[in-house]
Amino acid sequence: MAIAKAERLMNLALCLLGTRRPLTKRELRESIEAYLEAGSDDSFNRMFERDKDDLRELGLVIETVENLEGETGYLARRDSNRLPAITLDAEEAAALGLAAKVWQQARLAGAASGALQKLRAAGLPEDVDPYGAHGALEPRIPVHEAAFEPLMLACRDRRPVVFDYRKANAAQPEQRHVEPWALECWRGHWYLAGWDRDRGAERVFRLSRITGKVRSRAGRFTVPVPDVVTVRETVAGWAGETADRSARIRLRSDAGFPLRAKATSVRELGNGWDELEIPYGHGLDAWLVEFGPDVVVLEPEELRADVVDRLRAVAKG
Amino acid sequence: MAGKPVRPVNAIDQTRRMLSLVTYLRERPGARIEDVARAFGITEDELVSDLDVLPMCGTSFRGGDLLDIDTDGERIWWHNPAALGADAAEPLRLAADEATALLVAARAVATLPGLRESDRQALLRATAKVETAAGEAAGASSRLSVTFESEGGVFADVDRAIAERRRLWIRYYSPARDEVTEREIDPIRLVSVGHTYVEAWCRRSEARRTFRLDRVAEIRILDEPSAPPEVELRDLSEGLVQPAAEDPEVVVEVGPGGRWVAEYYPHDSADELPDGGLRITLRTPDPASLKRLALRLGRDGRIVEPRELAESARSAAREALAAYDGAGAAG
Repeated sequence: MAIAKAERLMNLALCLLGTRRPLTKRELRESIEAYLEAGSDDSFNRMFERDKDDLRELGLVIETVENLEGETGYLARRDSNRLPAITLDAEEAAALGLAAKVWQQARLAGAASGALQKLRAAGLPEDVDPYGAHGALEPRIPVHEAAFEPLMLACRDRRPVVFDYRKANAAQPEQRHVEPWALECWRGHWYLAGWDRDRGAERVFRLSRITGKVRSRAGRFTVPVPDVVTVRETVAGWAGETADRSARIRLRSDAGFPLRAKATSVRELGNGWDELEIPYGHGLDAWLVEFGPDVVVLEPEELRADVVDRLRAVAKG
Repeated sequence: MAGKPVRPVNAIDQTRRMLSLVTYLRERPGARIEDVARAFGITEDELVSDLDVLPMCGTSFRGGDLLDIDTDGERIWWHNPAALGADAAEPLRLAADEATALLVAARAVATLPGLRESDRQALLRATAKVETAAGEAAGASSRLSVTFESEGGVFADVDRAIAERRRLWIRYYSPARDEVTEREIDPIRLVSVGHTYVEAWCRRSEARRTFRLDRVAEIRILDEPSAPPEVELRDLSEGLVQPAAEDPEVVVEVGPGGRWVAEYYPHDSADELPDGGLRITLRTPDPASLKRLALRLGRDGRIVEPRELAESARSAAREALAAYDGAGAAG
């Protein structure tokens, strides 16, 4: 029966951590059962390279040293792999315990519990769990977008990517070459900020609009990554939250609570209607139409015309 | 598929866990299976499967010094802890992904406005310590960030009501009906998935309901005890809105400008149309609640089924236009 990969990785890790001198590939092959059973040199070599990458992925620093005979040796030095001393009290431990549970994305959830387990091995207190007491708070970070993981890795490793992106109102996706800087989750959706090579400008992309695969490109970033990358401001602008003007509307007295919540002034007209002054930003016309006959736009004329236009389209069906 | 509750059987995760496990077990001879599983956030079965692998592992040549770890089903015994040199069993430094996952989550949780101040302080202290311990590995964590949205005051009241097991009175805005209703609710838990929600037993509808905190217009903690019936907590990882199979079907056809509907509404299917639009089929217990969507879409889309819904949107639009015909000439 084939030996489980976890067993093979574990043995390789323990060998590399346990040795004081670099071990050659030959020595490792003779030490680890799974490698003895690997068959041909080729398949062993492939397996060994993959395993080293996997161990590096989980944080092991593996050094490559050439010995006098020109043979390559490998070892994981203790001082480069040891967790620096860290002391956390019970409250801090509980807070981290809550944080480690919020990811709903397999890779990050695995990594977060891995981090907690390493801290646990280093003596992180276990008993007190103030959140467990009533368990009221259950923050979750949703990740439903397939593009998330490849983009996360590309941001981490600063690798350029290419993907097909369909803008909100475009029928066809368009290929975009991007130097990915940062990912941000806002209101439950993920966004990517980066340098758009085709546009020669900074752009924000919504991950759910990426169609097909995200592919890495060879080479480096051509533009320096800014110290502060802002995603939320751009997205808030899309959402019409950056209003620069104001509008006057009539609203039926018992309707439109969210419009009232945003209003800068409300005046009762007495005939079952109120008059409101509200911020006028991108997207207000579509929002007002949702209230149907309970809203009448007074001014500006441009907004009034947009709303009438939209209502006519609906009335026609 | 992303979004599933997470515990993949994954060789990398298992290896990572076993490396920490040997360090942990070395210090704790006779550790109880139950306690170790809890400390590692895994099931007892997962722990037992690790304990099956560990005796096949060792530091050196075959057969020489495999780890002699076994369990009587209750406690775990390691008979040759010297098999790992003292320094081969030290806690390992955090990988970049581990530091990122933990730090980004910790910073996000610290933004929750309703978090008790003492807990927030503990979290900030812990975050700073982990950043220091992670060293360079913490660097990439600035490339991911998450903000939870929630209404601070409302959140704090709900959190307190849950802790003190008290009933809440709320005025709640329902966009589907464009109305504000008063109700008493027995809160069960707070959930943050993009927006923050309270899941509660609604005394008005005698049913479980989920309320979005930014739609709570007013809130008061009542003196009555909260007494929600025992309800099984749902797995919310697939989203808060989980339509039932018996819910009526709604069909919406949108043009290219209405494709966002498929992003915002959970749906059964979204088929491409020749003009670059979509034909979207979804289910909802209350199709009338989609009248707003029909109005919003304008020329970017229309409701196909049910026909009553399409007709109610059309007549609402006609009624709205009437107001402009009158005032239009004067205004």
